[in-house]
Amino acid sequence: MSTIVIEHLARVEGHGGITVELEGDTVTKVHFDVFEGARLLEPLLKGKRYDEVAPILSRICAICSSAHCLTSLKATENAFGIRVSPQTEMLRELIFRGESIESHALHLFLLALPDYLNYPSAIALSADKPAAVLLGLRLKKLGNLIQEVIGGRAIHPVNALLGGFGRVPAVDQLIAMRSSLLQAMADSDTVIDLIASLPATDFCHSDTLYAALRSPNLDTYYMGDEAMVVSNGNRAIVPAADYRSLTNEQSVPHSNAKHSTFQGNPFMVGSLARLTVNPRRLTGKLAVAMKRLKLTLPSDNPMDNNKAQALELINDVERALEIIERLLRDGVRDERAMPVHARAGTGTAITEAPRGLLIHSYTYDEEGRILAADVITPTALNAASIEQHFRRAVEQCADRDEAVLSRRLQMIARAYDPCISCSVHLVRKG
Amino acid sequence: MSKPTVGIFGLTGCAGDQLVILNCEDQLLDIVALVDIRDFLMASSEKFGDSPLDIALVEGAVLTRRDADRLRAIRQRSKTLIALGTCAVWGGVAAMDRGADRARLLEEVYGDHGKEYDSQPAQALHEIVKVDLNITGCPIEKDQFLGAVAALLNGDAPLYPEYPVCTECRMRENNCLLIERGEICCGPITVAGCNARCPQLRVPCVGCRGPASDANTASALEMFAQKGFDRQQIAVRLRTFAPEGVAQ
Repeated sequence: MSTIVIEHLARVEGHGGITVELEGDTVTKVHFDVFEGARLLEPLLKGKRYDEVAPILSRICAICSSAHCLTSLKATENAFGIRVSPQTEMLRELIFRGESIESHALHLFLLALPDYLNYPSAIALSADKPAAVLLGLRLKKLGNLIQEVIGGRAIHPVNALLGGFGRVPAVDQLIAMRSSLLQAMADSDTVIDLIASLPATDFCHSDTLYAALRSPNLDTYYMGDEAMVVSNGNRAIVPAADYRSLTNEQSVPHSNAKHSTFQGNPFMVGSLARLTVNPRRLTGKLAVAMKRLKLTLPSDNPMDNNKAQALELINDVERALEIIERLLRDGVRDERAMPVHARAGTGTAITEAPRGLLIHSYTYDEEGRILAADVITPTALNAASIEQHFRRAVEQCADRDEAVLSRRLQMIARAYDPCISCSVHLVRKG
Repeated sequence: MSKPTVGIFGLTGCAGDQLVILNCEDQLLDIVALVDIRDFLMASSEKFGDSPLDIALVEGAVLTRRDADRLRAIRQRSKTLIALGTCAVWGGVAAMDRGADRARLLEEVYGDHGKEYDSQPAQALHEIVKVDLNITGCPIEKDQFLGAVAALLNGDAPLYPEYPVCTECRMRENNCLLIERGEICCGPITVAGCNARCPQLRVPCVGCRGPASDANTASALEMFAQKGFDRQQIAVRLRTFAPEGVAQ
């Protein structure tokens, strides 16, 4: 028997590892080990008042803190029947786009790119290819600027509240964001050129199931009422209220993250899934970029998630610019957050965080205190699919060379852009 | 002079303080040129073994035996150990109810498997090892981190305020959310350094930076009582980011 162990995966968020065991030619064990400590925030939340929930749950994860915060607010608003203004929706979408720009730029340029070019880090890479690293840092900074201005802080936003915002952005802030966005638009060809120039990563092929929100409206794909699961030729719709059919989580002993399957099959969430479920987004400039990246959908290669992130990065910049132009044209009203009237009930929100589907679901008592909280994160949803793709990569590696396999497995793990802090937050039992 | 050797580590948390370091987009490449980064798993797969460090920056709280073992090993190899962020300094959100029955919480989330997990109540770093410097915040403020880097590179210790958020809030001439609007604002007892980030946005302080040593807590509690807030409710809220009994 031979074993491949990657003890502590580098260049990902959080603490995880990989274990693969082989007996002869047979792969006997494939584990994505998650040893992130369980903070148990969901049961600790019981008894907390509605206004404490989003600030606590955004702390699940820094990189996706805006998505956690906004999804949390939406779930509570759904429980209390609060409908926010169109301006609030627009500003929230801007935060989602800002977070996606930051997160994708961080992942593509600082975490994934060094793999393709054989460097241990972006810091080492910057000595030889400073332009690529500086481009990534510039885009990352833009994403943070948007989150800072609209959300009040780049990590763990403070300005997004139940029913609206503390303070809406000023015109000079919008103008500053516009000028950074225009610079990013000018950079978008360079992004695609760079990603298209990377060596092919052709070592893991698999029939893959993809799950993402189906966009009722191409502009607001980050929120919706139903998820769609797509495989080769087949599709199934899951309404938000039935999210548990996507998240029938199982505890597994080697991981503090539970595993999810849909009708017994692992599925992938994230950028590649979003583009696969919503191909109508891929028009104009994106369609051209997709050709240059040689990406075809549905893809059987999980490494294509990196290409999908590059496409989304460009799309996020375009869309953020559209929103800001609109806000500048129509003016921003100094709205206060809507009043909150707590009531007993359950509210669920499903959104698209940078890494994929994110679900928050809460039950409140009549005073607006938490009775139960469920949080299901993209990396928890991806865990079973990551293991399936590890297995395929080992099976498809002809000589089973340990160094080659070890590198490939790490690249697959990173292509998922796992957020391991997130992965250990999960649905309550039963 | 040789460059100081630096390690950047995360225990259990959200990785937000390491992310603040990576978010110093304009300074990052200059900083890494001035120091010798020997360990930064979140950003680099480079391995140097357990070489000695001049400075270790550690974020997150201790929630597992593995965390505790890693922290002791980091302490052993480091001259200066810096606790980065509220979780490392105070325990953070995972420590909000340390008295709760851990086995029950684990059972509630994981069922029977809960028993198998390596899990203990959250602890701040100084409850396990000696900590030389605290940089608090959830996450840390970028300016305070950059100030610390500049000071340490010059052989100085950075200084941080001990007064509460209220002091900064008044200097920014904000209307008081507690007195004028009757909102539960933790500004009177939370340590400053964020430039009153939340009240500046008309949003009450949630206390994410932990308690201020130079706060008039008695008077703050009296003010909360005058405004009609239940004492128990206030106490629970104040302990969201820094539990009882984690005095520095």
